[in-house]
Amino acid sequence: MDILEEITEILAEILDIENHNISPETYLIRELGAESIDLLELAVAINSGFNIDVNDDEIFLRKLRDYITEAEQRNKNILQYLVKNLPFLSRKRLENIIADLEGGPTLKVKDLISYIEWQNHGT
Amino acid sequence: MIFFNPEYPVNPVKKIIFKSAKVLQKMKFTGNRALILGGSCDLAISLARRMIEAELFPILTYRNEKGREYISKNLKDCQKKYSSFYLEFGNRDSIDSLLHQTGDDIDFMVDFVQGNFESLVASADIEDVYSYFAENVSFRAEIVKRVARIMMKNKRGRLIFISSAAAKRPNPGQGFYVAAKLASEAIYKNLGIELGGHGITTVTLRPGYIDSGRGKKFIQDHSKEIIDKVPIKRALTKKEVAEAILFYLSNSAAGFNATEIPMDGGLTAGK
Repeated sequence: MDILEEITEILAEILDIENHNISPETYLIRELGAESIDLLELAVAINSGFNIDVNDDEIFLRKLRDYITEAEQRNKNILQYLVKNLPFLSRKRLENIIADLEGGPTLKVKDLISYIEWQNHGT
Repeated sequence: MIFFNPEYPVNPVKKIIFKSAKVLQKMKFTGNRALILGGSCDLAISLARRMIEAELFPILTYRNEKGREYISKNLKDCQKKYSSFYLEFGNRDSIDSLLHQTGDDIDFMVDFVQGNFESLVASADIEDVYSYFAENVSFRAEIVKRVARIMMKNKRGRLIFISSAAAKRPNPGQGFYVAAKLASEAIYKNLGIELGGHGITTVTLRPGYIDSGRGKKFIQDHSKEIIDKVPIKRALTKKEVAEAILFYLSNSAAGFNATEIPMDGGLTAGK
């Protein structure tokens, strides 16, 4: 089973939704309506299922907007600042996130996958 | 309500009810392995013994070699029916080491740990205040979080925090002790609120004067004063407290969640 399949299965169970609704582009909070308790359950399931340490703030991009505010206050380049603080996301993905901020919480299924791959490679 | 007193003769109907009550005394538990934080205190050892009798497997933590030896000496007739591991509040590495040894197999947790800190608020050494809260609140939050996540994997768990009657009625000099107790109570309460729907529940017990451990000498020195204050006119025994904890871990007490229960003989009920 690949990472997407496993994540899909976990999400389907936690959120009580059909598997086919979930793709890498699915927004967890905006579309699936995941709440904080669901995300906690998801973190525990990812920790257990993939045998990796999970930092909830990192994997769910909780500090994203704080990082952006910090970058603005320190007159730093926002993209560079995010690359440094969210190292598991690609530059391209971070550019998309910055462009998508007004739509609401930006977390997508593919961000979870990136985090798991990043932790698995120990980088 | 029917009250039984074994000292008085009972009629046959009462005898039957009395027999049923004995059958009911065998408590049932959902789970087997119970982590006891602060396992080298007399109360914890008394609880561990009672757990072993109830066919639970206690895992007691100690913070130094003296504690390990004390547990070993007091439970020497219970070999292989319990285990003990190092955990020192304030030493974050010791959590990793503990949970590595216990594995993902913790059904219950009973938390006795509390450092003592007596000082008037206006005279406290502020460095001591910072380190006291780091050890007794922040560290506790970390271990509660870690154990709760283990319990979430198993989809069940029961945690009991042993607070103190002082949380409701502190004496002068107990400000920081009580502040740490109340903060810790809040952590356990919220855990029960947040994860009750996931099978993880919490209870805080607030024992009053106990004829054991730290309280024993105080009770000996102030026995008349204490007896006058407590409506039941005596201190609690460690056996009573251990029995109560075991009850609150049992299936019979599953309805208690995210709450604080005084167990002080009525001490804090009156003026």
